Amino acid sequence: MKLERNLLFAFLLLAAALPLVVGDQYLLHLGIMVLFYAVLATSLNLVVGYVGEFSLGHTAFLGIGAYTAAICSLKFGMPMWATLPLAALVSALFGLAIGAITLRLQGPYFVIVTLAFAEVLRLIANNWIDLTNGPMGLAGVLQPRLLADGSNLFGKQFYFYVALGLAACALYLAYRFVYSNAGRAAVTVRENRYVAQSVGIRPFSYAMRAFVLGAMLAGLAGGFYAHYISFVGPEVFTFSFMITMIIVVLVGGKGTLVGPLIGALLVTLLEEYLREAKELRLSIFGLIVVAIVLFLPRGLMGFLTARRERRGEISAAPAAPADVAVAREGA
Amino acid sequence: MNAMNHQSGPLLSAQKLTKTFGGITAVKDISFDLMPGEILGLIGPNGAGKTTCFNLITGFYVPSAGSVSYRGRDVTGQKPHAIAQQGIVRSFQKTNVLKSLSVFENILAGHYLEGRQSLLSTFFPGSKVRRTEAALRDSAADIVHTMGLSRRMDAPAYLLSCGELRLLEVGVALAAKPSVLMLDEPAAGLNSQEALAFGETLRKLRGTRAESILLVEHNMALVMGVSDRLVVMNFGQKLAEGRPADILANRDVVEAYLGKAHA
Repeated sequence: MKLERNLLFAFLLLAAALPLVVGDQYLLHLGIMVLFYAVLATSLNLVVGYVGEFSLGHTAFLGIGAYTAAICSLKFGMPMWATLPLAALVSALFGLAIGAITLRLQGPYFVIVTLAFAEVLRLIANNWIDLTNGPMGLAGVLQPRLLADGSNLFGKQFYFYVALGLAACALYLAYRFVYSNAGRAAVTVRENRYVAQSVGIRPFSYAMRAFVLGAMLAGLAGGFYAHYISFVGPEVFTFSFMITMIIVVLVGGKGTLVGPLIGALLVTLLEEYLREAKELRLSIFGLIVVAIVLFLPRGLMGFLTARRERRGEISAAPAAPADVAVAREGA
Repeated sequence: MNAMNHQSGPLLSAQKLTKTFGGITAVKDISFDLMPGEILGLIGPNGAGKTTCFNLITGFYVPSAGSVSYRGRDVTGQKPHAIAQQGIVRSFQKTNVLKSLSVFENILAGHYLEGRQSLLSTFFPGSKVRRTEAALRDSAADIVHTMGLSRRMDAPAYLLSCGELRLLEVGVALAAKPSVLMLDEPAAGLNSQEALAFGETLRKLRGTRAESILLVEHNMALVMGVSDRLVVMNFGQKLAEGRPADILANRDVVEAYLGKAHA
């Protein structure tokens, strides 16, 4: 708990210092994408790592957030500070509705139905031309007035700090949830539904909380994406975002808060560096993922904590055989 | 009037409980009362329907007929979590713990009901939440100690021995602060010496950490030594009920366990 909190603080502080040292637009763009994926992966991690079900439809919430922000911005001229919370709110409401259906399912059924929801939303985005402008997408999402006469570099710096603020917000909420009684209840449900019920936990309601929080954060990330790219099309619902999200969570380590950050950093940078390999890029990427799933099934963060545990165990080992662990005080 | 019920009536009462699975009747017309302050043993050969009884009382199964009442209120057919919230907490025959969590975390997780908080204070915990959390941690450490698992406090549950797991499971149930503690074969996998020590622990729990205990157990030395009364089941039906000494002398019971020649 302490270790995790300190690592999160260190990450945020380092990130905050980055624009002061780096004056390159391209590097700042990479930084923004790392933060964007960090928020997205944190939100998916709440579902995969804390509900314990694998959602393949998390892009639904990313897309809803992005479209909400774009529509509010273009049709009602709302500024970014209003569209972002709205994107989060609308996404959370969709999370409530979709969760109410999907969280009654488990295992492969959950996977398929969540995937179906994302696909249905993609079809709607493609075909409801009046609202979404169909495959053409919504272009020219309003930029904050502040940026109108600033340089491009200033724009990047501005978005970097907005993304950092969102990441801090997402991590704070996730941290509070995970280390609260509600988070413990969610983990109890994930680990063993029967134990959860027998100590008074209603499994559905805690899975729901983690799911809705995840939806909300994904919506927030989507809203940010809409403003930053200033264009939203149906591709926000496609599987490629989902794949990146999954890789980030798996590489970093599901069920930990630091994992998605490490994952986001690694995957974003790797994607950029592998660009030179062109068509080979995705194949190399796939191999790396296969290797991680095979050799580090709990991700990089799981690998690190396992090492710490093993060291602790060795020092505690001599005591173990004598400890038959029966209450003998009364005997 | 309610207060009088607490004094005189049974804490938990099963009336004519019946459960059928398709054409098979697993439990038929089982009735028994658990009195306040009592340790009641539920025994019988394998397949007699003891665990089914547990599942019926705790809401994991819905009875085909009959009723369960708790402190005079009907709780038949309620959901497992709702029944647990009223103070009836069980353990499982097939050990169920949170495998990847440490012993301490397992027991802390069991404190769920005590630690419940509003959505707002989940995200913005104040001093009240911090005090509650500290109290829960103290209580969890205390239960770890009571169950004799102090030295395994921070060990992940998957590293525990079979006997330790059973103790941990009882600890998780205790963490939910039960009035009625229902244990399904808690001593399975313990050697005879460990089982006796476990019996001592159970006696200490009664009246301190749980008002009454309902116990399913195959270890006769343990269940005879610790129970105030016994209910014997065979083929889904109640065979006998009474004090341990009387049960031992009961011809039907001896026959069910050892066969006719011994009776």
